[in-house]
Amino acid sequence: MSDDHADRIGAIHRDLHSHLPAEPALRVKALESLLVEKGLLDPETVDAWIAVYTEEIGPKRGAEVVARAWLDPAFKARLLEDAPAAITEIGFQGWASGHLNVVENTPTVHNLVVCTLCSCYPHALLGIPPNWYKTAAYRSRAVRDPRGVIAEFGEVIPADVEVRVWDSTAELRYLVIPERPPGTKDWDIASLAALVTRNAMIGTERDLGRRVGVR
Amino acid sequence: MDGIHDLGGRQGYGPIDVDEPPEPFHEPWEARLLGIVRAFTRPGNWSIDWFRHVRECIEPADYLTRPYYDQWLQTYAAMMVDSGAASIEELASGRSTAPLHGMPAPMPPEKVEVAKKSVARFDRESNATPAFSAGDAVRTQSLGATGHTRLPQYARDRRGRIEAFRGFHVLPDSNMTGAGTVEPLYTVSFAAADLWPEADGRRDRVYLDLWERYLERA
Repeated sequence: MSDDHADRIGAIHRDLHSHLPAEPALRVKALESLLVEKGLLDPETVDAWIAVYTEEIGPKRGAEVVARAWLDPAFKARLLEDAPAAITEIGFQGWASGHLNVVENTPTVHNLVVCTLCSCYPHALLGIPPNWYKTAAYRSRAVRDPRGVIAEFGEVIPADVEVRVWDSTAELRYLVIPERPPGTKDWDIASLAALVTRNAMIGTERDLGRRVGVR
Repeated sequence: MDGIHDLGGRQGYGPIDVDEPPEPFHEPWEARLLGIVRAFTRPGNWSIDWFRHVRECIEPADYLTRPYYDQWLQTYAAMMVDSGAASIEELASGRSTAPLHGMPAPMPPEKVEVAKKSVARFDRESNATPAFSAGDAVRTQSLGATGHTRLPQYARDRRGRIEAFRGFHVLPDSNMTGAGTVEPLYTVSFAAADLWPEADGRRDRVYLDLWERYLERA
C-alpha cells in the first residue's frame, strides 16, 4: 500500500490527458468502440441500462418506500431495523442497497447525507445522483456548513433542531425518511409518494408541508 | 492518500447549483458512459476500492474541473492501461490493435433484468471480537495513510462516540489491491463543535462509518 500506485497511476492519467480526444463525447465514443472491438461490450446492453436509469430506477422508488413507511408502522419498523431486507420485500433491491441504512427526521432531528470522499449514493432507491451531489461545493460544505447548504436550497433549520450529517465513508448508504406533513391524514400511498422529493430523501429539503397546499 | 478527493470541510468552493434540471443525465454522452460502465466486462480483477483510488489519482486540476462521468471514463481508461488490457493509443483511436483472449462473451441486453436487482455485500463472517461497542468514547488516528483509505482528514485525531457496530467489513485500505482483509466497522459520531471552530455552541453532529484500525479508545 505504498505511494507507488499513486505515482504509477498518476503518470497514466497524465498520458491519457495528453492523448485522448478533447471532447468528452468523443472520448466516450472511442471507449465504446474499443470495448466492442475487444469483445467486452454489447452496445444493446448499454441501451438497456440507460433505459433502466432513465425510465425505471429513480427517486420515485425512494418516495414509495417513504410513503409506505408513513402508512405502515410495521414496515417502517422493519425498514429502520434492516433496510436491505425491507426494500427486498417490494423488489427494490439493487445497486448500492446491500448495506442501506434508513434515518428518520423528527421534530427535533434533521438528517443530511453526503459522501465527502467520492460520491456514494443509494442508486437502487434514488437512481442517478444529481450533479450537485457530486460537486466539490456540496461535498466540502455539507459536513461543515449543513445549515448553510440547506438554506441555499430554501429552508432554515431552527436552532433547536439537531442536524445529523451522514458522511458515507464505507459501504453503508443512507436514505432519509422526512416527516409526514400535516393535512395528509386520509391520503393513499400514491398521493403521499408524490409529495416526497429526491432532495427530502437526501436531506437538503425538510418541510414537505409546503407541498401539500400546492397539489 | 492526502489527495484532492478528500474534500470534507474544505472552504472556498462556492454555491451549489440548486436549480439543476431534474433529468438524470444532462448530456447524451453521460448516459452512454453510465450504460457502458454498467455493461462492460472488466478485463481485470478491479475492486470498488481500486476504482476509487485510481479516481483519487486524477490530476487535482482535472479532478475539480472535469465533468463527473468524464472522470469515470478517465478512471476506467487508466485501469485498462494499468492492467495491460488497452493502450493509450487504442483508447484515443477507439480501434483495437491487440485482441484480448480468454474473455467471456459480453453481458447481453436480456441479462439487465436480473443484473439490475443484484446486490453486493461487503460484510463477511468472522469469529473475531469487536474492540468497541455502542457508547464507547474513541479517538481517531492522527496520521493518515498512503494509498486508499477512508478516514477523511477532517475527522483525524478527533474524539468521537461509537454509535453502532456494523459487522466485519472488507477493509478498503487492503481491498484496493484485492486482499480480502476484514475488520470491524462502526458508525462513529462527532460533535460538530469538535470538528469546526465556527460550530461552537451548535448541537449538530457528524456521523462517519469507520474501520477499527482508524480508532483507539479515548
